Amino acid sequence: MLQPGKAVKVTIYLGEGATHHGVPVYSSILDFLFYRGVAGATVTKGVAGFGADHHMHSAHLVEISDHLPIKIEFIETRDKVEELLGKLEELAGSGLIETQETTVAKPAQVSKSAKPLTPAHLKIQGKAQMMRIYLSEHDRWSGKPLYGALVEAMRANDIAGVTVYRGILGYGAHRRNRKDNPLLSPHHGSVMLSAIDTAEKLRAFLPIVDKMVAEGLVVFSDVDVIKYAYRALDADQETASATQDSGQGQVQQ
Amino acid sequence: MKEQFQARMLRIHFGEDDRWQGKPLHEAIVGKCKELGIAEAIVFRGIEGYGSASRIRRSGHWSRSKDAPIQLSIIDTEEQIAKLLPFLDAMVEEGLVATSAVEVIRYSRSDIAPGSEQ
Repeated sequence: MLQPGKAVKVTIYLGEGATHHGVPVYSSILDFLFYRGVAGATVTKGVAGFGADHHMHSAHLVEISDHLPIKIEFIETRDKVEELLGKLEELAGSGLIETQETTVAKPAQVSKSAKPLTPAHLKIQGKAQMMRIYLSEHDRWSGKPLYGALVEAMRANDIAGVTVYRGILGYGAHRRNRKDNPLLSPHHGSVMLSAIDTAEKLRAFLPIVDKMVAEGLVVFSDVDVIKYAYRALDADQETASATQDSGQGQVQQ
Repeated sequence: MKEQFQARMLRIHFGEDDRWQGKPLHEAIVGKCKELGIAEAIVFRGIEGYGSASRIRRSGHWSRSKDAPIQLSIIDTEEQIAKLLPFLDAMVEEGLVATSAVEVIRYSRSDIAPGSEQ
């Protein structure tokens, strides 16, 4: 949590048209900051501006123009900012990032403590753990499907890889009214997320699971990773996607 | 509510066409799990695979038309799983049952203890 005193303000300037994996860059960045436990961030939309390409973007009708400048601002400690900057530079693509020394006079009131920091994405080999999370497909979190939000959260925390499976039948901790629900309904929507990484990284991610999962089962088992290979995406694809390692693991249990 | 305990996970592999007393086997097993108050059971349909008889199983375009591989995952404490095993012995005629020791964290809105619900 932010304390009064020295801090760094980061400002990112983007064109609104910019996308990353099909979603607006500002929303990828905001998700990333959120899941990495940044104290707060604000996105503002300009009404006119120009960027490095010296192309003037303005709007007669603010609502319908999709190339207006976007500004994202957040304030964090220097250590945290340095940890996040690498990934932010990739996410921001052609945008501009500015950092500025600032002083926090009064931090915003937050009740929760900061999440533990996780080390960057590493190659895993040998002893690892598999984390399986069982939930309902219909569980929601912040207006989106919980399983999708968990995948985003794992990605932002550099968990090596995750796969979501949809069950064709099932029941469990996530069934709200077990007695009332017909067990054998084909559209019950049990899903399982399966992620593999080192025990430390998965444990460090648990506080986030605690916050996001209200009903469900999390299962840990020890695995040996015998092969972990991934290829970087082609450089000529959108620059922002350079860190998307398509993690591929083969696991023996 | 959050509880943490040591548990056992069973994974049972067989085919979608396998039956038990006229019912699809996976439905019969999930029904039995429910009856015994097993904490978690989920069935997955694979898109391709082969099993103990080395017969290739594939889910067709119309997913129910072929004998797709089925994997059933069951999780609960050792004692609960031990209650289920004799039934599995009788029900699964051809298939594979794998078990592993796992650590479980259960989040729930109710106060039901694992294994005690009906």
